[in-house]
Amino acid sequence: MFTRISDIDRLFGTMNLLQRKLDNLYGNYGRPSGYRWELKSATPRINLYEHGDNFEIRAEVPGLKKDNLNVKIQGNYLEISGERGSDAPEGYKTHKTERGVGSFSRSFTLPADVDSTKVEATLKDGVLYLTLPKHEAAKPKKISIN
Amino acid sequence: MDRTQEIVKQDEKNVEKTHELYEATPAVDIYENDNEILLHADMPGVVKENISVDIDNGTLSISGVRKLETEGAATYEEFSDVEYVRSFSVPQTIDVEKVEAELKDGVLRLHLPKSEAAKPRQIEIKTA
Repeated sequence: MFTRISDIDRLFGTMNLLQRKLDNLYGNYGRPSGYRWELKSATPRINLYEHGDNFEIRAEVPGLKKDNLNVKIQGNYLEISGERGSDAPEGYKTHKTERGVGSFSRSFTLPADVDSTKVEATLKDGVLYLTLPKHEAAKPKKISIN
Repeated sequence: MDRTQEIVKQDEKNVEKTHELYEATPAVDIYENDNEILLHADMPGVVKENISVDIDNGTLSISGVRKLETEGAATYEEFSDVEYVRSFSVPQTIDVEKVEAELKDGVLRLHLPKSEAAKPRQIEIKTA
């Protein structure tokens, strides 16, 4: 029945269409999801990269100010928490509110210990970038051959 | 058109498209008062240069491309480069000339002012 990946894609497309119809039917009852037919959670999505001496973490945090974000590190344990307030303007009627509000917390165990004193965090265009230098013992070492 | 028919038809008129990037639907908030309609859309990681906002024939389309440079190997990846696409029907009463858009902290904010003619007007009642 399904011979090509596009067939499955098309099936999902039909499911999305149905979902949209239902969303329209119920107005903004509940929260119509932006990402449909995908695994979804209330916490920001996170990427972890590893290059040489550093780990790099990126998190999608649109609309958050740096005061709303907390990053805690201990050994190889990392916790990112934050809160997103509503930016609904005063005196406006609401048509749709899909952008979630509220607090979140997410924690990880990194593959190796990091030097918590040298961690750098930047917030740019709604993405949080964390550069986590590995602890001395975890850094890659070059072995010279005698 | 009947809703069921529409779903069936979708398959037939589907044109195979090539995608450079995944398309995602940004989450939006829409507010309205007497003077304007406000639209807030989450587009984390999208820079100003890669956003386009078009209003054509009563359809507002927003599109934003996120291209992030990556270094090293991904241990895990929950988001990647993506194209945020979404379109809305806007009423004809929107003053297209005066639409303003701003992008801050990965949130696109659109102000769609209503034209003077469309604003509610209080009619004064004169006593004879």
